[in-house]
Amino acid sequence: MIELKNIAVQFSGRDILKDISVMFNSGEIIGLVAPNGTGKSTLMNVIMNYINPNTGKVILNDELEYTNKKNEVKMHQLVSMMPDQSDLYNQISGKEHLKIYSSMWNSNPKLIDNTIQELGMASYIHKSTGTYSLGMRQRLCFAMQIVSDTQVMLMDEVMNGLDPTHVELISQILVKKKSEGKTIIVASHLLENLEKYADRIFFIKNGELILVNSISPGFEEREITIVRISEMTDKLKEEISKEFPETKVQSLSNGTTLLDVRGYDSGELGNILAFLKENQITEFSFGKVTLNDLYSMFYQEE
Amino acid sequence: MWAYFKFEFLQFISNRKNIAIYVILLFFSCDFALKIAPTYNPIERVDVSEIEARYLTREAFLNNVVIDEGTHYLSSFAVSIFQEWNEYEGERLEAIKQHNLKEYAEATSKWYTYADKLTFPNAMGVLYYNPGYYTFGNIYATMDGHYAYLYSASRYKAYTEGKSNLSVNVFEERTALQTLQRLLNSYLPLILIVSCILLTVDIVLKDRRNPTLLQGLPLSDWRKLIVKGLVSLLGSLISIIPLSVGLLIIGGRNGFGDFDLPVPIYSSGKDAFSNILMGEYLVQNMLFIVFWFLFIISLLLFVSVLLKNEFANLVVGFMFVIAEFIYFERGLGAVWNVQWYPTSYVQVGQIISGYRNFLYGSETLTFGSGILVMGLCTFIFLVFTFLISNQRKFKLL
Repeated sequence: MIELKNIAVQFSGRDILKDISVMFNSGEIIGLVAPNGTGKSTLMNVIMNYINPNTGKVILNDELEYTNKKNEVKMHQLVSMMPDQSDLYNQISGKEHLKIYSSMWNSNPKLIDNTIQELGMASYIHKSTGTYSLGMRQRLCFAMQIVSDTQVMLMDEVMNGLDPTHVELISQILVKKKSEGKTIIVASHLLENLEKYADRIFFIKNGELILVNSISPGFEEREITIVRISEMTDKLKEEISKEFPETKVQSLSNGTTLLDVRGYDSGELGNILAFLKENQITEFSFGKVTLNDLYSMFYQEE
Repeated sequence: MWAYFKFEFLQFISNRKNIAIYVILLFFSCDFALKIAPTYNPIERVDVSEIEARYLTREAFLNNVVIDEGTHYLSSFAVSIFQEWNEYEGERLEAIKQHNLKEYAEATSKWYTYADKLTFPNAMGVLYYNPGYYTFGNIYATMDGHYAYLYSASRYKAYTEGKSNLSVNVFEERTALQTLQRLLNSYLPLILIVSCILLTVDIVLKDRRNPTLLQGLPLSDWRKLIVKGLVSLLGSLISIIPLSVGLLIIGGRNGFGDFDLPVPIYSSGKDAFSNILMGEYLVQNMLFIVFWFLFIISLLLFVSVLLKNEFANLVVGFMFVIAEFIYFERGLGAVWNVQWYPTSYVQVGQIISGYRNFLYGSETLTFGSGILVMGLCTFIFLVFTFLISNQRKFKLL
């Protein structure tokens, strides 16, 4: 497990991270969600000690801190970050990249072939990475981190450039790694995907790390809490507010309107359904609030 | 650490800049062997017609001159010196015509010793060394001639005592190993040191092109730097391979020579020259060049962690190579204590052969002092690099 204690980072007098304290446990997938430039990568860089925080510390397994270079090496033996696909060496093969990472972390060499197999990379792994497409490069970067086999894995935009099949494939591998007791911290913009497998999801806003559950208490519950309407006129919104004064109506930046039906019984839900039918609204769904909804709600003011 | 070494070395040999350096060295090497080396025209060559002309002229003079009270003092002087001189000249001529190279070497050694004994003091002001030394603007022509004559006397003497197969190519120092010896005495060390600078200049800072791939490797910055230094050292040593291609070509044409050939070493004592074997000379040069590589690599590692700028690496590296040209003044080495500057040792072959001491008029620029100064500087650079790279907040990238 890895703990962040009172981490604060400032760049040019601007607070990027403000007094962040959080514990990431073993066997947990953590999702980090935020618009670009709000501090996700900075947070990961602090965890890796690529950036020295202005205050605070990173503690690994209750004992290791970045207090000296010797400890840094020990921590990097246990914590790794997925490389960026643009940093691959174009003149050497994918297999060489994997071998290098495997030997640097002294991990089980069998992991190389297993990972190649799992990610379906066998057909191109011996070619120079300069010939790879974005998706192939991204898969290689993911594979490199998998073969490093560290206790804590940080992945920034791991799903970038991947087709849905590979997004699913990588998600399954993440779940498998989680079951092996790894702590996996993923920053991603594929919110639906993240929602599916992340144990905890954090938003970052104004330098603070905010647990999604704390802004939407029913987020993890399996009950109908929301009615999502794709398109709705302002007039209709007014009417619905008059008709159901206790129902909170919220418009998202993507044009979707959400009706908060938390705690409603079947009768009340039926009335809303009837109202929508009367007003010839056909594109709607009953369900729970999604990460996409929360993201839109949380960041729409910006 | 071994894994990181292999990784660094893989990057090093696939680096386009490094490949280009090796290709350029190969080109230079072949160009030298095929175009420049064949045009080598030593001042002290085996020139039968010149020997014969000189011998016959002096012999005719000795046969015809009449010494009496009215004889000009210079004629008397000529008679007094030409008899012995021409004796050696005659032996040389006879030996080379008979192709008796041992005898030729023995007579030639005596000839040079005798010629220098007369020419250097130049009591009458009429004797000169080979005209090849008296070039325009060379105010040290006599000194150069003195050095060359004693050098030749020493090596010809060693030829008579040694077991090496003799040939005109050996006498004129044209064989592959002797060409290497000559090159080590001129610009070959500079080429190797500059190659080392160019190969090392980006060894640390190239990683900035792949930061996310390398930053998190579980290896301390100091160890990474040491591995990079070792890779750079190995890469610099590899630069000898393309250069040896030229030597193979020269060897094929003029013979390779052998490791028992003598190399005269200058010292400012009574016997100006003593000989060491070619093998020993080359080993000393190799060792010295390795120390230069270590010096340059540790310097550039230090500058890399300090300034983090490739151009700064290049400038600082070249400063150390060219610095001696700024302060070099013939005959003033002892006054300026040049032996304490690592830059004074850049002409590796000249340091070992003693020629640098001859030029500076000092006795202190030796193989031993060079190794000491270079080693000490390397140690200091490494200590500073260690201290910087072990700072808690230091980031290599």
